[in-house]
Amino acid sequence: MRAILVKAEPAPSFVVKEQDGLDPDSPQVWEGSANASTPRTRENGNVDQAFGQCAAVIEGFYTTPVQIHNPMETHGNTVSWTGEGITAWSSTQGISSVRDGLAGALKMDQSKVRVITDFMGGGFGAKFGAGVEGVLAARLSKEAGAPVRLMLTRFDQALAVGNRPSSFQKIKMGALADGTLHAFEMENYGTAGIGAGGDAGGGGGGANIPAPYLYKVDNARVTQRSVAVNAGSARAFRAPGNPPASFGMESAMDDLAVKLGMDPLDFRLKNDPSPIRRKELRLGADKIGWKQKYRPPGTCPGIVKTGLGCAGAAWPAGGGSPFTQGEAQINPDGSIELRLGVQDIGTGTKTVIAVVAAEILGLTPEQITVRVGDTQYPAGPGSGGSTTCASVSPTVNDVCNQALDQLQKLSGMADARGQNWFDACKKLGISPLTVHGRWQKGLSSSHACGVQFAEVAVDTETGLVTVQKVVAVHDCGLIIDQLTLASQINGGVIMGMGYALYEERVMDDLSGVMLNPNFETYKLPGIADVPDIEVVLVNMPERGVIGIGEPSTVPTAGAIANAVANAIGVRVPSLPITPAKVLAALGKVPPSIKS
Amino acid sequence: MKAFEYATAFSTASARDLLADDGAYIAGGNDLLGRLKEYLDSPPRLVNIKAIPGLDSIQHGDDFCTIGSLVTVARLETDPRIRSLFPGLQQAAAEIASPQIRNVATVGGNLAQHSRCWYYRQRDIQCLKKNGDLCYARNSDNRYHSLFSGNDCISPVVSSLGTTFAALDATAVVLSQGRELRWSMAEFYADAWKMHLAHNSLKPGDLILRVEIPLSRPRSAYLQASDKHVFDWALVSCAAAADFVDGKLTSPRVALGSISPVPHQMDKANQFLEGKPLDSDTVAHAADLLLAGAKPLEHNAYKVPMAHALICRTLLKLKG
Ligand SMILES: Cc1cc2nc3c(=O)[nH]c(=O)nc-3n(C[C@H](O)[C@H](O)[C@H](O)COP(=O)(O)OP(=O)(O)OC[C@H]3O[C@@H](n4cnc5c(N)ncnc54)[C@H](O)[C@@H]3O)c2cc1C
Ligand code: SF4
Repeated sequence: MRAILVKAEPAPSFVVKEQDGLDPDSPQVWEGSANASTPRTRENGNVDQAFGQCAAVIEGFYTTPVQIHNPMETHGNTVSWTGEGITAWSSTQGISSVRDGLAGALKMDQSKVRVITDFMGGGFGAKFGAGVEGVLAARLSKEAGAPVRLMLTRFDQALAVGNRPSSFQKIKMGALADGTLHAFEMENYGTAGIGAGGDAGGGGGGANIPAPYLYKVDNARVTQRSVAVNAGSARAFRAPGNPPASFGMESAMDDLAVKLGMDPLDFRLKNDPSPIRRKELRLGADKIGWKQKYRPPGTCPGIVKTGLGCAGAAWPAGGGSPFTQGEAQINPDGSIELRLGVQDIGTGTKTVIAVVAAEILGLTPEQITVRVGDTQYPAGPGSGGSTTCASVSPTVNDVCNQALDQLQKLSGMADARGQNWFDACKKLGISPLTVHGRWQKGLSSSHACGVQFAEVAVDTETGLVTVQKVVAVHDCGLIIDQLTLASQINGGVIMGMGYALYEERVMDDLSGVMLNPNFETYKLPGIADVPDIEVVLVNMPERGVIGIGEPSTVPTAGAIANAVANAIGVRVPSLPITPAKVLAALGKVPPSIKS
Repeated sequence: MKAFEYATAFSTASARDLLADDGAYIAGGNDLLGRLKEYLDSPPRLVNIKAIPGLDSIQHGDDFCTIGSLVTVARLETDPRIRSLFPGLQQAAAEIASPQIRNVATVGGNLAQHSRCWYYRQRDIQCLKKNGDLCYARNSDNRYHSLFSGNDCISPVVSSLGTTFAALDATAVVLSQGRELRWSMAEFYADAWKMHLAHNSLKPGDLILRVEIPLSRPRSAYLQASDKHVFDWALVSCAAAADFVDGKLTSPRVALGSISPVPHQMDKANQFLEGKPLDSDTVAHAADLLLAGAKPLEHNAYKVPMAHALICRTLLKLKG
């Protein structure tokens, strides 16, 4: 890559900080248009009047940084362009969208492009399209007449392929004397970098967030805008918009509960309209020992203070894609292969497919050979919006029920399942049975909830926050496989913890560069930072299958931030909650000396 | 990184010859390879010094323990005799980076590692330390930088071993132009205090042979504060060493890392602690003396209370 000479001039002026971009005189990122978009306001009820009726009102400025996806595997592909067409081995969440992207960009028939993703090391929303890097690898392969492997470096990855927008949430919120939320006002801005976000198929990478989050407030006014800055563009990132929304709202909830003199748990139970989440709040409170352990903010004795906090999640997606297809091939020797053109992005999709198929056929999951991650299989959706589980499960159900039906007919056996399986398959003679099926209605739904509780210890002299325990209570309809489900939730909590305490893209306003495009100074949780995570599952078979990948990372930061505030008695309103910010919130940091 | 020649030296003399004017010694390579990959340095030749006999041993004498420059950080962490003679050194070693890095990182490389300033390590920035004309950190994001400096560069020393060796009053023996120089840690880093281009006082071709630690301070301790629990650089680190007889300190020394281009020491603090008991008032006063004159910048003032707490805790740890 160093052999490529790029001729470019550094921009004479630039803006990299959101606050600076708000200034109408800031250097324009896009010529002829202001960096800050025109504010858009929504209002329900009569907010100004409602504040006057409140018994307690708080105001806070809650901020979240730009977060980088930082999957362990960076973006990239190996592409082989021969006379037969293009084959790309891609690190992607969407084999179909990469195929269509490559075909479009390179003017090839879609039938001549094959995309394979056997395994992949994480994407979190940033890996849908073919990307500049994919198209480039293909072109280089054509020129070289040989396969070309092009993986981005960690540096490239930090700069150019997406991030979660920041948020700067000015929230004013009030409640009536009985603890009913009554008035809410938010002005929020954030940056999606030089673009508005959104790579093909990835969905919302914009800076707006849902508000007021979770809770019912009759009088609410929300004003949002996005600010363009000269920095990497956003893309969808695990539950776009929700982790910052949860952090801001849940911080405000605790601050208001304190002002009202109410237990933050009771305050939530009173104002959360979701019966599922209210149930989860009670469950989680029991598990963490809220009644026994909760004490008013800042009253823990000693230098290292412990605290409790909780926060909630809502995730509107998680349902299945009606376009999902799949097929089964049953061989005379009794082996069976399920093929779906989806991809397993490390979430256990293959396990889910095997578990569903095994149950219908009366076999064990080990007996099912699952093949995904190849555009030669019947098409499936990209893995975004936590939709894969709810897409493949009903599809596999259909494929397997049809296959069983046909096998029973062909073999003449009334029940080909379980013990009868091999006998039935033998009757197929020499030709395998191949059956095609598709997603069916009624077996899945959307809108998972979830709440998390955190217990932290804060060293008030060094500012270090230790998360001791997280109780994660989640629902996702019918639970298909506990182990992979718990693994998603563990991962969500760990990512949420990074967001709470460590992660932050640092842009330098003097030079305009990113200062931490590596894992040394873009800090991520390591094993020793990870708390005891207790996963509590609420099984709701009546709702069908719902995805869990995204909701599991939504409430963690809010819960940790509230636990920190509860421990030390003052709020650190800005993520990440670093030792420096904890010491500052405690009033321990002396003024700096201007040189 | 740019292509380079690679040569292995089997004696200190051949190491020097192979290096010529523009090569670089490579020991564990943790620091050097990172610099090559980021194009911060592009030496035409790397001289592997790990095959030089004798530099990888720990020797115990009557008054000194001698640690060869090729001894790994992992060995300092796990060697039972080091643990009992210099608990602070063992604690410092155990906090460095990750087990994988400690397994290959050497004492010499740890002392001689270059600045970790995030402007310095950013390939697109040409700051003062890279022959540019501006210290970006001073004027912009200095959250990880020094509270003290003798020049315009405020990149702090980050060698945890250097800081601990300073508290132990260790001497680095450096082979320079055929002569063995004996440097205190203050001398080893003196150039970094004075000159913005320097990371330490080594001149091209200088080879660290060993570190000699006097056995006169049986009590030692090390603590660091970081953003994370492990595998993270110290925001502030503190090492202390002394003898502790009849409830009183003798020959106490305290040094701090990550707040100055050199391990930060104050004679006044050491003198004040001499003969004192270890109680909270004493250690707090010593901390005040150590931090007197600190010049916090816009984003690193938090290091002052953090350092204060660490000094107190590290000193109290000497009680055992
Ligand atoms: C994420 C991370 C966290 C870290 N955290 C810490 C920490 O908390 N504390 C800490 O102290 N370190 C830390 N380190 C740094 C690490 O300990 C050093 O990089 C390592 O000790 C360097 O040793 P090495 O043998 O690999 O050196 P090399 O990379 O081989 O050499 C480093 C430099 O020293 C020179 N050199 C090597 N040996 C000699 C010699 N005998 N004589 C003269 N010059 C020599 C080389 O030419 C080179 O310039 C961290 C590193 C990373 C990547
Ligand atoms: S502190 Fe030193 S290394 Fe960092 S920007 Fe300033 S001059 Fe460069």
